[in-house]
Amino acid sequence: MKQALSERAVTERPMIEVIGLGHTYESRGVASRALEDIALTVQAGRFTVIVGPSGCGKSSLLMMMAGLRRQTEGTILVDGRPMLDPDPDRVGVVFQDANLFPWLSAIDNVAFPLMLRGLGRSERLDRASAMLELVGLGHAGARYPSELSGGMKQRVSIARGLVQDPPVLLMDEPFAALDEQTRMTMGEELLRIWSQTSKTVVFVTHSLSEAVYLADEVLVMSAHPGRIIDRIEVELPRPRTYEMMATATFGQLRDRIWRQIRSPQPGNPA
Amino acid sequence: MSRASMLAARLLLLALALGLWEALPRLGWVDDEILPPFSAVFVTALQLLQRPAIHGDLVTTGLQLGAALIISVPTGVLLGILLAENKRLAQVCEPLLYFLFSVPKSIFLPLFILTLGISFWQKVAFGCFSTILIVLMSATAAVRSVREEHVLTARSYGATRAQITRHVYLPSMLPVLLEALRLAVIFSTTAVVLAEMYASRSGIGQQIASWGESFMMRQLFAGVLIVSVTAIVINEFIRWIENRCSHWRS
Amino acid sequence: MSPSAIRWLIGGILLVLWEVLPRAGLVPQLFLPALSQTIAVAIADWRIFAEALAVTLSEAAVALVFACGGGILAGALLGSVARLRGLLLPVVSSLYAVPLVVLYPVFTAWFGIGAQSKIAFASLYGFFPTLLGTAAGIQTIDAQLLVTARSMGATLSQRLRHVVLPAAIPTVIASLRLGGALVIVGVVVSEMLTSSAGIGYLITSYRTVLDSPRVYVGILLVLLLGVLLDLGMRLLEHAATRHRPSAVPRRAAPAI
Ligand SMILES: Nc1ncnc2c1ncn2[C@@H]1O[C@H](COP(=O)(O)OP(=O)(O)OP(=O)(O)O)[C@@H](O)[C@H]1O
Ligand SMILES: [Mg+2]
Repeated sequence: MKQALSERAVTERPMIEVIGLGHTYESRGVASRALEDIALTVQAGRFTVIVGPSGCGKSSLLMMMAGLRRQTEGTILVDGRPMLDPDPDRVGVVFQDANLFPWLSAIDNVAFPLMLRGLGRSERLDRASAMLELVGLGHAGARYPSELSGGMKQRVSIARGLVQDPPVLLMDEPFAALDEQTRMTMGEELLRIWSQTSKTVVFVTHSLSEAVYLADEVLVMSAHPGRIIDRIEVELPRPRTYEMMATATFGQLRDRIWRQIRSPQPGNPA
Repeated sequence: MSRASMLAARLLLLALALGLWEALPRLGWVDDEILPPFSAVFVTALQLLQRPAIHGDLVTTGLQLGAALIISVPTGVLLGILLAENKRLAQVCEPLLYFLFSVPKSIFLPLFILTLGISFWQKVAFGCFSTILIVLMSATAAVRSVREEHVLTARSYGATRAQITRHVYLPSMLPVLLEALRLAVIFSTTAVVLAEMYASRSGIGQQIASWGESFMMRQLFAGVLIVSVTAIVINEFIRWIENRCSHWRS
Repeated sequence: MSPSAIRWLIGGILLVLWEVLPRAGLVPQLFLPALSQTIAVAIADWRIFAEALAVTLSEAAVALVFACGGGILAGALLGSVARLRGLLLPVVSSLYAVPLVVLYPVFTAWFGIGAQSKIAFASLYGFFPTLLGTAAGIQTIDAQLLVTARSMGATLSQRLRHVVLPAAIPTVIASLRLGGALVIVGVVVSEMLTSSAGIGYLITSYRTVLDSPRVYVGILLVLLLGVLLDLGMRLLEHAATRHRPSAVPRRAAPAI
């Protein structure tokens, strides 16, 4: 399986296309420009990471890709069709907080989207337990969220995002609430899952190391209004390893992103 | 919605309610023996307020209420502070107090009559009994709401004990204490009025009960109106002070 | 000694004093009849008390339906619609200051001295606190859960059914607990004021003939009823909130 998937780059096909996107928030009559002139294409099966200063509009952009918020200008195509409303067949979402339903056990949380679609109970549980297996929690299905650690909750949340087998997975700072060690292992886990499922992933983070470690491509944004100011191809080989973080290439990539984010002016178009 | 339009909407709501009250009997949809129109009740209330006998009743009720508050609030606050400062005492007493707090107080009213007779002090005592626990528990909460870090910070700048009391404890505790006062007023009003309605020779509560028994609906509604408006005005007044003292809280 | 041991000790001492003080003549029997005497009276007259209790309970049950039905519905509405909340919540908490008991004579004048007046008063008495409690509880529902459900394509009715409803259960139970305590007080108070049946009526009739032991029995029964109801509701609450560490902020019933 791994062999076949490592050739995913060969079949070039745009999975997400964002065209001329802009967004203006309006609250109490005051308009504020959050996103300006966003254009990007994510090829199927690629792992794209978005970084940028706080408040630059990363979450907003992701919400729009998920169909949870309507942009004021421009178009978003996922799998060739516009994203006007949430569509679990095309896009799964994982948030910073795991947002598990506290009254449901882990497996019922994972099965929740299937329940919404009216699948039978046994099929739901089969698929959900397969997903829990995939994220390494096959043993914990009966536990309730209050009995899970932060990392485990986030794994359940990822399993839930994947359970309908959407081609795209959007992740908004999914590991931000975790401690550094858990975060590292979760990164490894995510790459393993990704390599086993051939998803297209868009991942928002504030951690530069995490960005370089995970990404095929890093998009750097600037704030006020939010624009994409740089695209960085990460040409480190896969599978990625912890040791790569000590290499010169890794350091240079990290540096380049940091300088982009730090620069006061967004005068550095990609 | 802005504050002004919110207020306007609320006034409109009030006008609507009063309009309905006026219209129902006037249009003959409800017998005006059962529900006298608002205007008639209002006029009756104004007339009642000019009668010396009613003055006497209001003064009696007010004195009982005042006495109950003057006794129960300081006592409750002192006991509450004592409880908050004494960990051992708190461990022993708090579950008991919590239980007593949730016990309905009104059913004890007959005991106050058995022991104190039907008297001024019986109503004051019942008022205190109904009020003191809420004050006590609020005072404990108030002391505990003072953040240790603030005290430490003040001490690290060399504040004296008096200064800490004045500048840290008081401002932190004041809003909670005012809230306690507000609840105390609500609770003791209910207690005193209930005691008057239950068994009494004077007081506005006793008047309301006897108007009810003799089906004097205008007077009855006027009495309800007077009591309600007074209670709401006092409550809002304390709330207003509360807001002024805690403007820094969001 | 552990705090709970001290509490048991205090309780024990109080019971002993309750027996000894009146017997020794240190407290008049009229003020405090001896514990044993009170119990003896309760056993002798159990049928009378049981019948009165049944009347009170059935009226409280009906009032609970009105108070909690209305309070939970209105509270859910206020809790979920921000605009309505901003408009009405201050009004409701102003009205909370009114001593509702002054309305009881209005009800007896309207409905007569019977079950109707008591039920009307008790329903009203339980309504506002239930409303406020429910509104506060509904507001604590995590908005993120709704966004999450939406991201999975949940329709509005699915969100209500599978997210809002289960999330609101602890709040509803807490409201029932509060409302239950209040409607019992409401019924008993109205029975004490003017009525012809029920445990509150019994307490007042014995009070007027200065029959202290029976007054005490009546009061103790009402207390017992409250404690049992609270216990039952708490078990229910516990069962429903097993997996939720801090589902609903605790509110003690502000019973007067
Ligand atoms: N619902 C909203 N109404 C008005 N303005 C909003 C809203 N949501 C976000 N904004 C504004 O849009 C801008 C972008 O917000 P967004 O949450 O997308 O940023 P972000 O890049 O995800 O930030 P962070 O890294 O802190 O999560 C911010 O200035 C924010 O204040
Ligand atoms: Mg964000």
